[in-house]
Amino acid sequence: MSYYDIDSILTDAEKIPCTFQLDVPELGYLDNSPGQTLKAGARVALPLWLAELLAITSTGSSDDQNKSYVAFDLPHALRNDVVQALKAEPLAVPLRDQSAHFYSLATHMMDLSEEPELSATLRKTFVRRAAEIALHARKLGGGTGKGDEGGSNLGVGGAGEEFLRGLDEWERRLFRKAHDGTRAGKEWMEKIKKN
Amino acid sequence: MALPLPPGLTQPEVAFLAEMELVTIVPRQRLESISLLGGQTPPLRPPHRAELPLWLALLLKKQRRANIVPPPWLHPASLSEIITRESKDNPDAFSSPPPPPSRAHPTEPGRARRLAESDANLSPPFQPSCTADAPAGYLPYHWLEVAEALLAHAGDDMPVAAGEVRSLLRDLVEVRAAKMRSSTSTLESFGGGLTSLRGVGAMELAESRGFVLGVVDGVRKLGASAEATRREEEEFGGGRDVSDDESDEDMGI
Repeated sequence: MSYYDIDSILTDAEKIPCTFQLDVPELGYLDNSPGQTLKAGARVALPLWLAELLAITSTGSSDDQNKSYVAFDLPHALRNDVVQALKAEPLAVPLRDQSAHFYSLATHMMDLSEEPELSATLRKTFVRRAAEIALHARKLGGGTGKGDEGGSNLGVGGAGEEFLRGLDEWERRLFRKAHDGTRAGKEWMEKIKKN
Repeated sequence: MALPLPPGLTQPEVAFLAEMELVTIVPRQRLESISLLGGQTPPLRPPHRAELPLWLALLLKKQRRANIVPPPWLHPASLSEIITRESKDNPDAFSSPPPPPSRAHPTEPGRARRLAESDANLSPPFQPSCTADAPAGYLPYHWLEVAEALLAHAGDDMPVAAGEVRSLLRDLVEVRAAKMRSSTSTLESFGGGLTSLRGVGAMELAESRGFVLGVVDGVRKLGASAEATRREEEEFGGGRDVSDDESDEDMGI
């Protein structure tokens, strides 16, 4: 991930549900009570970059064992029923509704906490959906040279469009790549007939 | 990041390289040998066949000074055989690339031997696989480019109507594109993920490169954390093994 990667920056802004492990004075405005002390056990949604920093650094307080500032849960997009639905039928879930950066959020979360099952499920999901994406990319590119992509887009209706709307950023990039390849092939074939 | 071109060759580049393939022509006029960067072309004497690079053959064809002999694998019979093989007999693999040129063994009948064993030009891109001597039923590396160029410019030299060859070619392209798409599905489980691309043509590679690399990269990123833990465990186990070895040595001493 590059420093200038806009998707990586946007992923860092995703909110993660966190539970504070200790009282923090003057931080109450995070929980809609300005000027108050943020009590331990308060549940606050923090952006990923902040949650990550707070979760991995320890408070360094002398009493009992090293405790981190916050404990985090899996974000809303990765909650159990979404994962179950993906396990059942990867193609039926519009990932974009969960999060526009679903996969990069998921990889980030898997870096922070070990989720071997989630990793396997997402891998299956990604590969299954990739095959479907390639099919759609080819179909859209295959509009018989009539007008531009917008024109051939009309040929695919209903379920296909529904599926394409549910792609997250990774999958969109994949779709674009597959589509570019097909389109370049089509262009070359058109050109060879002309000269 | 600043490079506008995706990694690998683009379609026009692949098509340009394909023009280097040798094809067989039947000249209609005499033409002396031409000295080219790639070497001398054979002198053309009308009834005798000669082998020329595709670009020169197309040029002569456009000037009506030669007819191009389509390679045997482009005949409808060969194409439909390949389609049957790809779709029914062996729906999981691409059909294999042409074998190296061979000839019957002079003393032992029934055994073939490779021609020009010492020659280094045996790999598909450099093998003369689009000439009239090429074996039927095998698709060479530049099959799609050569076939399209021949259909577009030398359609009247085809043994049957060009439209028939073209529709067979379309079927073949579709069958193989579907195969290319499903080839990524072997990545689904951990440990799997070997995709054989043997026999895939240059143009197909150029077309699917972005997609396949994207899928592989995505799978790599998704599996990165699991892979890291696995490695850690392995390292841990490895460390223990080393200590075991050391203790064994101590015992030995």
